[in-house]
Amino acid sequence: MERQKLVEGLYRFAEILVALIAGFAISGIIMWMGGYDPIKAYRAMLGSSILTTDPYNLAMTLSFSAPVMFTAITFAVGVRAGVFNIGAEGQMYIGALGAVIVAAMSLPGPLYLPLAVLLGSGLGALWGAIAGILKAYKGVNEVVSTIMLNWIAFWIVDYTRVDLLPNPKDPSKTVEMPEPGRLPIILRGTELTASIIIAVAVTLLSYYLLWHTVLGYEIRATGMNPRAARYGGINPERAVLWSFIIGGIAAGLAGVCEIAGRPPHYAITTGLSNLFGYGFDGITVSLIGANHPLGIIPAAIFVGGLTAGARGMQIVAGVPLEMVKAVQGVIIIALAVPGLLKLLKTRFTRGGG
Amino acid sequence: MTTGPKGSEHLIEMRRITKVYPDGTVALRGVDFFVKRGEIHGLLGENGAGKTTLMKILSGLLRPTSGEILVNGRRVSFKSASEALKMGIGMVHQHLALVQVFTVYENIVLGLKAESGTRERIEKLMEETGLRVPLDVKIENLPFGVRQRAEILKMLYRNVDVLILDEPTTNLTPVETDELFETLRRLKDQGKTVIFITHKLREVLEVTDRVTVLRNGKVVGVVETSKATPQQLAKMMVGREVVFTISKPPSEPGPPILEVRDLWVRNDLGEWAVKGVSFTVRAGEIFGIAGVEGNGQSELIQAITGLRRPEKGRVILEGRDVTGFAPSQLYRMGLGHIPEDRQGLGLVLDMNVAENSILGVQRARTFMGRFYNLLWSTIRRHASQIIGRFAVVAPGLDAPVRSLSGGNQQKLVVGRELSKEPKLIVAAQPTRGLDVAATEYIRKLLVEMRTKGKAVLLVSADLDEVLQLSDRMAVMYEGEFMGVARPEELTREQIGMMMGGYKLSRG
Repeated sequence: MERQKLVEGLYRFAEILVALIAGFAISGIIMWMGGYDPIKAYRAMLGSSILTTDPYNLAMTLSFSAPVMFTAITFAVGVRAGVFNIGAEGQMYIGALGAVIVAAMSLPGPLYLPLAVLLGSGLGALWGAIAGILKAYKGVNEVVSTIMLNWIAFWIVDYTRVDLLPNPKDPSKTVEMPEPGRLPIILRGTELTASIIIAVAVTLLSYYLLWHTVLGYEIRATGMNPRAARYGGINPERAVLWSFIIGGIAAGLAGVCEIAGRPPHYAITTGLSNLFGYGFDGITVSLIGANHPLGIIPAAIFVGGLTAGARGMQIVAGVPLEMVKAVQGVIIIALAVPGLLKLLKTRFTRGGG
Repeated sequence: MTTGPKGSEHLIEMRRITKVYPDGTVALRGVDFFVKRGEIHGLLGENGAGKTTLMKILSGLLRPTSGEILVNGRRVSFKSASEALKMGIGMVHQHLALVQVFTVYENIVLGLKAESGTRERIEKLMEETGLRVPLDVKIENLPFGVRQRAEILKMLYRNVDVLILDEPTTNLTPVETDELFETLRRLKDQGKTVIFITHKLREVLEVTDRVTVLRNGKVVGVVETSKATPQQLAKMMVGREVVFTISKPPSEPGPPILEVRDLWVRNDLGEWAVKGVSFTVRAGEIFGIAGVEGNGQSELIQAITGLRRPEKGRVILEGRDVTGFAPSQLYRMGLGHIPEDRQGLGLVLDMNVAENSILGVQRARTFMGRFYNLLWSTIRRHASQIIGRFAVVAPGLDAPVRSLSGGNQQKLVVGRELSKEPKLIVAAQPTRGLDVAATEYIRKLLVEMRTKGKAVLLVSADLDEVLQLSDRMAVMYEGEFMGVARPEELTREQIGMMMGGYKLSRG
């Protein structure tokens, strides 16, 4: 048994390695065709994110990995329950809105952070639960409903940003989280705050929840075989709903941490530009990490490293931003594809759902 | 009438057909089967007699292990269903081969070359055969009887001469059944040949010209329907001497544990599957339900075990009305359920042995801590105990259940359910697909449980199993009990009659 696990682990590792090499090779060719030096670019990218001893660079990498760690949990818990919850994006917006609402209140200092966490994760859970109820009790396809809810969330949050909670001093963003409500910065001069600690803690907690609690057992049983789950005294609808709620909490926390824990804004900026995309990046992080919380942590750090390394590529290797984005995209796709294929296969051989 | 070179009067001749499946199951043992041109020929037998296998061979879906097939006196060897279709042989399966989201018309012409006048020809065919089907309605919006007509029409449009129907009346209402028979007679008048697979005696007697009876992969006899009696056919179909190989002490029934009163249950299609069934299972007895599969047994079990809501009637467990209770509540009250579909229902195949060992009792105080946390060390001990006590062969507690053999999967399910120390054990098809050793073992366990004073409700399509294990038994047919008796009181004729749809008459 142990041996089988070892073989499986090695296989997975080899898979990642091959995907990495393929991703880097293909992007290298793209850069080369565009007239840039891929070797130099990669050295700049990795040298300014992961393969470095410079604490500043490492801090940037970790700071970018925090939000996608949260949103990857959203997707992973959904997958475990047998659903394709791609609503982390919207749940994160709503979570951030919750934090900004708290920020706009006049409260005693120590209350800001706990209230922001409570309201942000609560609103995220609520937003997730909408799709969850539609899926579990009305059979509405969760892919469709979560995409729609993402846009509803986007416009609600953008509307409140402009009309309800604008920043009197800076029209490009909402009110800021006041000083006492901010997460402490771990390394001065970087964006690395206690967000990363919360993200890792939540990730470990979700591992415990899935594999060491009854609720997790019931969620996983439902995801693998809803009929057997029902036979086993589990209410599959309720298990699916719980997966949306848990995912919503995680995504909501991503939003809260971006407001309370990302300098310099501590607010939602125009067009939600400081939030946009983290929810979807979480899907790829989850896929790279085999939809397992313990795989998500390294996967999130890697993806965070790509984000942090983008700057190095631009500055040191002179690769334009568009090319950097393309390179990141190719590498991420190469890594996520094996997991995605596996997921689609089980989903369709089980007869869809 | 055309006759073959040998001057045979038979349109179809299947000689010494043997079929051994890759897993070693022998389905047919040298079957001779002859069909005359223009007759309606019944193929009668209980579950596993080999009826469907024989017809799948004739229609090109399966290849025989040995034996030869002659059509019109010429030797044929079909490699696929389309080859058989070219020779004019088409089969209508129990699960119809229609595309749900296509219209009837689209289904009929599916795979054929687009030609002008197709529609007219189909309409003419409907006129001639009386098979009225709305051509432009999607299959999914039609009742089963109409879908079946569409499938038959599809076959006829492909110029089928020999129409094989596999248990065609299973999902039909009585009126639809009458209409189908009317159609078959009309087809016969037009010179078509029909082979009618069934286990229902009444239908065989009503519509066929001759009957071949299969039992255990062999032909028991061929009779002219006009000269046959239901008693004779029943005896041929069941035919075995009942052997009581399992020794069991006489039953000492205690108080009633399960009472079912006038239970009515619908199936997934919304049709009545169980029609007013009542019975009692006492402590210390095995109550068996026999019958050909698909006569409402599954729905009855689901209604008793909380997996399906009955429309009417009561389920009473130890004097308490538990109608419509959820499975989790029933388990707490002492229900153990060995489901008929161990892979789809009884186990989560991708979970490991330890995880599966608590399915259904995951919220029991023994396995769950104060913070809803799973007590893995207790669970693993529990799983090892099941493995030890019920002789489950597994690579380890962390092995996914998928990697276990069918017999060991079933032993795990049985072990888990019995280790709940239930008061009532509902066992559905508990030995299906298992080898002899595992079968014996599980049967012995059930008898042991009953002797220990548990109530056992056994549902099985394996008649021998019901006869051997039950203290009392019923035969179910189309949602009703045809009779309840002690197995030793019943003659094989009476059992066969009940399985074929006649109520038990004593004396």
